[in-house]
Amino acid sequence: MSLKDVLLPFLAWGKVFKNPVTIKDPFNDRPGSARYRGFHKNDIEACIGCGACEEICQNAAIDMVPVKGIETKDGDSGLRPMVDYGRCCWCALCVDVCSTNSLNLSNEYTWVENDPDKFRYIPGVDKKDWDNNELGWKKPENYDLNEPFRIQMEELKPEKRDSSFIEFVKGYSKEQAEAEADRCIDCGLCTATCPAHMAIPEYIKAIRNDDLEEGLRIMYETNPLPEICGRICTHKCETVCAMGHKGDALSIRWLKRYIADQIPESKYKDILNQGNDISPKSKKIAIIGSGPAGLSAAYYLTNLGYKTKIFEALPEAGGMMRYGIPEYRLPYDQIDKDVKYILSLGVEIEYNIKIGKDISLEELGKEYDAVFAGTGLHLGRSTRIPGAEHENVYFATDLLREISLGNDIHVGNKIVVIGGGNVAMDITRSLVRLQNQKNIKVDVTATSLESEDIMPADREEIDESREEKAIIDPGWGPKEIEIKDGKIKGLRTIKCLSVFDDEGRFNPKFDEKDKKFFEADMVVESIGQGMDLTYISEDIKTMVKFSDRGRIIVNKDFQSSLDWFFVGGDIIEGPDVIHGIANGHKAAKGIDKFLNK
Amino acid sequence: MENIIKSLEEKFNISEVIKKSDNLNILTVDKKLAMSLIIYLKEIEKFSHLVMLSAVDWLEDGKFQLSYILNNPEKKIDLIIRVFISREKPEMESIHKIWVHAATDQRELKEMYGIEFPESPRLNDDFLLEGWDNIPPMRRDFDTLKYSEETFFPRPGRQTYETKEYMKEKMYPDEKNSKNKKGLKDA
Ligand SMILES: Cc1cc2nc3c(=O)[nH]c(=O)nc-3n(C[C@H](O)[C@H](O)[C@H](O)COP(=O)(O)OP(=O)(O)OC[C@H]3O[C@@H](n4cnc5c(N)ncnc54)[C@H](O)[C@@H]3O)c2cc1C
Ligand code: SF4
Ligand code: SF4
Ligand code: SF4
Repeated sequence: MSLKDVLLPFLAWGKVFKNPVTIKDPFNDRPGSARYRGFHKNDIEACIGCGACEEICQNAAIDMVPVKGIETKDGDSGLRPMVDYGRCCWCALCVDVCSTNSLNLSNEYTWVENDPDKFRYIPGVDKKDWDNNELGWKKPENYDLNEPFRIQMEELKPEKRDSSFIEFVKGYSKEQAEAEADRCIDCGLCTATCPAHMAIPEYIKAIRNDDLEEGLRIMYETNPLPEICGRICTHKCETVCAMGHKGDALSIRWLKRYIADQIPESKYKDILNQGNDISPKSKKIAIIGSGPAGLSAAYYLTNLGYKTKIFEALPEAGGMMRYGIPEYRLPYDQIDKDVKYILSLGVEIEYNIKIGKDISLEELGKEYDAVFAGTGLHLGRSTRIPGAEHENVYFATDLLREISLGNDIHVGNKIVVIGGGNVAMDITRSLVRLQNQKNIKVDVTATSLESEDIMPADREEIDESREEKAIIDPGWGPKEIEIKDGKIKGLRTIKCLSVFDDEGRFNPKFDEKDKKFFEADMVVESIGQGMDLTYISEDIKTMVKFSDRGRIIVNKDFQSSLDWFFVGGDIIEGPDVIHGIANGHKAAKGIDKFLNK
Repeated sequence: MENIIKSLEEKFNISEVIKKSDNLNILTVDKKLAMSLIIYLKEIEKFSHLVMLSAVDWLEDGKFQLSYILNNPEKKIDLIIRVFISREKPEMESIHKIWVHAATDQRELKEMYGIEFPESPRLNDDFLLEGWDNIPPMRRDFDTLKYSEETFFPRPGRQTYETKEYMKEKMYPDEKNSKNKKGLKDA
């Protein structure tokens, strides 16, 4: 023992009157540094319950749990992260991955509690002192664990596309598709919103794994028209995608197209393992209409073993997908590919047969065990303004059908389209192409009641129409089509101030003094379509229940009050292709249930 | 800085130069020439301070990257020297004779990545992990989640819900075709 050791305890007494090194009140005197990774905070309104934080946590410290008062709805699972501080190591990966930037770490790091269960809590829900701490760890700017922006899709330039009907969206390459698929965090918010509840993250995963056959199998479980939907689906799923909060939503639609585009139809049967293992049933089902609803019902009924036969009034299958949607958005050979596969499973189809005229609904009801009708909305609606009965005033859907049938249509020199929806944009852009093809100087103007900000058409449709030199001039109410010496002179309009009243009902208000005249020699009306239910005879009408607004009332199985008569698609819900597909699928299950009672 | 880099490029066969800013550059050099480059930088170019030594696991390429961050206190400039070594037999000459404190960095890299630095003092003593019985934890093929699930039992009463199943149950229960009733994840 040295002398120093002996003296040390006494030397320590010498420090008794010095300032102590310990801190009196560590809770207040030693705040964490500005970017300290302390206890979690969560902005509960901004969080969407995607679960990415739970998924990334390498310590399994996070559970996703329901929270009272937070509703499960489109784009929000209603779950919120609960942290277990018995496991958390404050790595902040959960913060860095958070889809909405709602999750942060405060710089608070002291917390004393007797009950260990208190250290499991839901940040933002269970109130804490540090909830309003500004300091702490936030995701650094310009740094993201996932690429926030989508892989851009190649498109034909306006001058390359405005005189032809060839498809202008190019489709992803393998590299592009895999890079885009890589952005998905597998949360499934999209699945809940998709009307057909497609297993979207699962087929996106198949792209990541370069297993496109698996991707195809997953798609066909809920959607037998992937080439079509991969091009023109209204993609509601993308509006709720978790990735859309910090950047762009996944290109779910283009990824679907990518899978279908890579596999030739001839391989479908092997991949989907269909055709051989279907055990046939004796019961027969008739389907009226070969739109998406009819095709989907036929596909799923055939897979259940039923003999199905489609009756179609027009010469080819597809309904509005073929006779409405223009070819430059949806090429006919892609419709053919999806349809051909469905027919190859043994679905029969007879064209140019109009139910109600060539065969009555009663006859179908007698000959078949059940009937599904997906007859769509094919009657153009008129503005009924003076002059609307002139021979050079057309319905958009009639013109689009004629174009698809390959018939020559009248193309004016100065055309006005009344309507601001996607159908109006489709006919506008089709007419631009026809004017170019006929060497007429492009002069098509679309005008709608709705002002630009509330036009029902998709933004990209409006922008692309303008790129193709169409004029979109929204916010005008049609008054009269002026006719002189039997010829159309133009459209008189007045300013539309608002379209809906305070209760959200359609009730347009105008300023009669603010007028505008659109010069024209041809007018196209595109203000909506109605259904033609004349094939339902008076007798049957007494057995089928209708709503006040003239819609057939159906149950969850899409069964009307006449038990063998099922209905779906645009005449019930939508209007879009994916609702038709979903309805057809549910009706097929419903028919199976009904026939097995 | 530009001049220094030019002369280094001539002498040391630098394979890549990345300019991060006026006072920070990243140089990639061959393993064989790394030691002479580092000594040259310390003795001739006065990068007298080793800020730190770290590693990156490039699993797919079968390589570890070593990064030596050097600082020249007079000129207030930094250089990062990158050296790629094989992942299969990860070994690098020790620099503890150039900077004594590098031994600590190297001890940490041995523990976290399993990189050998022959002759480095106390290289094999435990650094942070006492009684570690697995592959080095910073290697990317180490499954952190699996390890933590196997090693630390969950607190009783914990329960989590799967987003997809939960939304299905809440929003479209009639179409349910899953066995998993409440959207609860299997424990
Ligand atoms: C111009 C235009 C563009 C559109 N663009 C899109 C888009 O981009 N994305 C999207 O999702 N949706 C789009 N839609 C809507 C979509 O096409 C429809 O919602 C969908 O096709 C409806 O499907 P359905 O099966 O109910 O009826 P339809 O597709 O309308 O099919 C009904 C079929 O039934 C046949 N039929 C009717 N009555 C009888 C009868 N008595 N006997 C025999 N056969 C009969 C018809 O000939 C027709 O083939 C568009 C519609 C139009 C008009
Ligand atoms: S900070 Fe790290 S350990 Fe803690 S909950 Fe977040 S991800 Fe898990
Ligand atoms: S990642 Fe963010 S948005 Fe998603 S559940 Fe966690 S906290 Fe909420
Ligand atoms: S596509 Fe978007 S919403 Fe769907 S699972 Fe992926 S990240 Fe989530």
